[in-house]
Amino acid sequence: MSNFDAIVVGGGINGLVAGAVLGRKGKKVCIIERADRFGGMASYAVDGGPSLAHALYNLSPRALKDAGIDVDRATFTGQQIDTVSLADDGNHIVFKANGVYWNDGSQHPQSKAWCELIQRFKTYGGLLRQLAEAPPPGGHSASLSRARLAEMLRLAKVGIGLKMLGKSEMRRFLQVVLSNVYDIVLDDLPDGPVAGMLAADAIRGAATGPRSPGTVFNLIYRLGHGGTITQPTGGMTAVVDTLVDGAKAADCTLLPGTEVSRILVDLDAVTGVQTADGQTLRAPLVLSNLASPLTSQLTGPSLFDIEATRRIRNIRARGTAAKVNLRLKDASPLPGLKSEQKDARLIYAPSADYVEAAFNPAKYREMSKAPVIEALRTEQPDGSHWVSAIVQYAPSDLDGGWTQEAQDRLAQITVDTLDCALPGLREQITDTQVITPDQIATATGAPGGHWHHAEMSLDQLLTLRPANGISRYAFGPKGLFLCGAATHPGGDVMGLAGRNAALMALEVQK
Amino acid sequence: MALESRYDAIVAGAGHNGLTAAAYMARAGMNVLVVEKNGWIGGAAVSRSLHEGWTYSNCSYVCSLLRREIARDLDLPKYGLQVIPYEGGASFTRDGDHFAYYSDHNALRREMARHSARDADAYRAYSQAIMRQCRFIRPFLLRDAPDPASLRPRDLGELAYLVKKAHGLGSRELGETLKFWTMSIGDFLDEHFENGLIKAHLAGSGIIGTGLGVYSPGTAYVLLHHYMGDIDGGIGAWGFARGGMGAISNAIAASFKDHGGTIHTGAGVEKILSKDGRVQGVALEDGKVFYAPVVASNMDIKRTIQHHVDTTDLPHDFTKAVNNFKIRGSSAKLNISLDQFPDFPAAPEHTSFLRGDMHVSESLFELERAYDDWKDGRWSEKPYIDMLIPSQIDPTMAPTGAHMMTVFVQYAPYDLNVDGTRSADNWTDAQRNAMADTVLNQISVACPDIRDRVVHMEVRSPLEIEREVGLTEGNIFQGELTFDQLFFNRPVPGWSQYSLPIKGLYLCGSSAHPGGGVMGAPGANAARAILRHETRHGRMKGYAA
Repeated sequence: MSNFDAIVVGGGINGLVAGAVLGRKGKKVCIIERADRFGGMASYAVDGGPSLAHALYNLSPRALKDAGIDVDRATFTGQQIDTVSLADDGNHIVFKANGVYWNDGSQHPQSKAWCELIQRFKTYGGLLRQLAEAPPPGGHSASLSRARLAEMLRLAKVGIGLKMLGKSEMRRFLQVVLSNVYDIVLDDLPDGPVAGMLAADAIRGAATGPRSPGTVFNLIYRLGHGGTITQPTGGMTAVVDTLVDGAKAADCTLLPGTEVSRILVDLDAVTGVQTADGQTLRAPLVLSNLASPLTSQLTGPSLFDIEATRRIRNIRARGTAAKVNLRLKDASPLPGLKSEQKDARLIYAPSADYVEAAFNPAKYREMSKAPVIEALRTEQPDGSHWVSAIVQYAPSDLDGGWTQEAQDRLAQITVDTLDCALPGLREQITDTQVITPDQIATATGAPGGHWHHAEMSLDQLLTLRPANGISRYAFGPKGLFLCGAATHPGGDVMGLAGRNAALMALEVQK
Repeated sequence: MALESRYDAIVAGAGHNGLTAAAYMARAGMNVLVVEKNGWIGGAAVSRSLHEGWTYSNCSYVCSLLRREIARDLDLPKYGLQVIPYEGGASFTRDGDHFAYYSDHNALRREMARHSARDADAYRAYSQAIMRQCRFIRPFLLRDAPDPASLRPRDLGELAYLVKKAHGLGSRELGETLKFWTMSIGDFLDEHFENGLIKAHLAGSGIIGTGLGVYSPGTAYVLLHHYMGDIDGGIGAWGFARGGMGAISNAIAASFKDHGGTIHTGAGVEKILSKDGRVQGVALEDGKVFYAPVVASNMDIKRTIQHHVDTTDLPHDFTKAVNNFKIRGSSAKLNISLDQFPDFPAAPEHTSFLRGDMHVSESLFELERAYDDWKDGRWSEKPYIDMLIPSQIDPTMAPTGAHMMTVFVQYAPYDLNVDGTRSADNWTDAQRNAMADTVLNQISVACPDIRDRVVHMEVRSPLEIEREVGLTEGNIFQGELTFDQLFFNRPVPGWSQYSLPIKGLYLCGSSAHPGGGVMGAPGANAARAILRHETRHGRMKGYAA
């Protein structure tokens, strides 16, 4: 039996950050991971293929700093990549930081409107980031306590930030943030690949379509850290390794390949965890990187009142994004792309209407026949070349289940779709891998294989994330905290949920 | 009454909100003229006799939202308004079953248990949740929405009121409220119920009049919008106005005229006249010009600004926001004269629920698919229908023994897609009849003999509703009820308090807070704003003399 100050269940991005943050505050921390490697969903891969996450755009410098990791490390800075919106006629559109261009390098007529929209969303994202970098407002601290005053100060800062936008922009913010991406984008742009790219970015990983109110928020969320997309040096594995190093530097004990079978509770307070191989690890503090339903299963449901149980059961987490990895026969460039676009992020979303139409079948538990795709070309450490594609919509609860036939169909649809825009791609593919949301769920424990463990919709955000009454990380018995993507502010390879949870746990423990 | 050339205020449009605003102003002693393009008044709250012997409530068809404060202030019962609550409702299925909604609690419980024992238990928690939200929202309907960017005492006061009310809920209930306001009706129902038919029956109110599907976030609020009314104190109850919905407009008009008001029908506003940023009056289509320092437009914001105002001097931000205001036609209407009461084979004899709202949608997926059709620019293959036969309760609606049926249809697009081209011009007679045929097929799920019963039928596509009533795209709420267009965002940010960038010009229709429905609240609120502004600035003096 070992004794710790804190145990982190689950070594995903947020678990690693939470462990490192606690460790740096002098806690003796143990991070337990069921899989043999850390990183959870970010680094999950099969048979040497590309990992689930393939680019960084939202990693939080604040979270890294608190975890004691140098933000400017080459791993994170990596290679900044452009986005290319693919067109079937070969007239692809290239999005750079400073504007939108045609394939031939000339400026796209919608460049200015796109830049203005993105700039506006980035401003909003910067404002909202202040909320993301702290627990959601609320809690029960006394009205003059330090915690409450600090919170008031933070909210006042956001309020002042809003005011600083100026009256008209502040009003616009309060409208836009509640709106749907389809309308907001098409107010300023005609429908086409530029609008389609924005719509696709707004719905990636979500069980929602661009016309659903609240989707602008998802786009703003993506741009909360500036929106620069980076393919990290050494891939997602290197990012995870860096976080693991950070946890080690903070003197965390790391236990990969160990499954927690029970979170131990005595007299309504956690006392540690029991592992599947029979070990008992003691700690007065347990942070769970797992989603709330799994966590409550590990403690036993009797510790939650019926209202909390009902709310946990009703958390929506329906993964709709599948990973399709296409193995290429060699290093030769993808057909139809210029050499400077060889590493670009490719988007297949010819219009916002296309994205909405792709969403329709997913509502009825069917896969899109004309899917929205985000693809990146990657090279794996073993020298193999791949196109790593996130394909939507492929719902976790597919009617009839994700049989081999269904997986083959999804791979086929993906290749067909990409081959239309990149004619000849098909001939370069030697093998395909399909990772469906339900495989993700089984492998990582994420409910429904959902990236964010819980849908990022307005009714599951901020004080309502993952559910009303459990938004401030504390979960059920004393000493138990959630620190995963289902908590505020949410997922992506960001790390803020883990960092916020760790700080909250420290504050409560005081 | 002879027309004068000068008034204290002119209201453009004799819809129920325009008349309400006018009636309040008249009671405050102002000399008010209401102008209306049609030869009749009422806008979308109207009773029309299009086939001899029958009366159609040919737009809005049932009543609940009309604020009782307004009915009381304007003495509407004295001027002939009688609202008769109806009870019950039903959803029929293709396999011959039905789910009946009874207002009697025990009967409803038994009926729910027939479909799902679990749902019968769940209904209590569901209706309590809805009722709590109703109680929370009702006080806001007759107040101004505060401008969050403003530091004026009135806005801060309204904001403080909002914070106080929200704080009063307690943190748990506040969380539930925020969640309710932002979630979809489909998800909300899925949280409570398991039976598809029960869910489909309850979901309808979440989509009526909107361009959203049952799984679009924000539709739980739309449901609330349909539940927050009351009849005789019964919150959420609906009823018929005796004589059709026009009875409401007529009663308000009578109250208005009794207090010295004038109504001029048959000529719409051609232009709202303004000079140096100040409104002057209106020029009508028939060439008449009337002057007034105050003009209140009952038209929706798009129609008002885009078609009837000189926009050159308006702030660019404002006109852009108006152009981007979402006002989508999503519903159609069938009004049917029946030679006798149609046969409902699934219904027990002499049941009360046939007097209520009847539907034939069987699942949330079916409703969502109906929405998908609309997104593509087609009317739904299996549209949601809300049909009632008011002549069972109100004998004035049809000859003895015969009946009148009102059928609200959703979804039907304004810009119909024919062979890939979307345009309102595609609404030919043939298309309209084809849509009517789809709807009759839906009705025949409940009453197979419907086609044999039809004596006369009026079919109104969104285009007809736009042309006749003046509602842009035929949107019954004068603008989508989505959160980006509600409360301080309605109609556009910064202009949620009825005044518009031209001094003296006000908005008094459903484009303004708190939105659509035969509620009267925008009209009453606009009148309050007008009386406050225009009397404070002393402009009334010269005209009152």
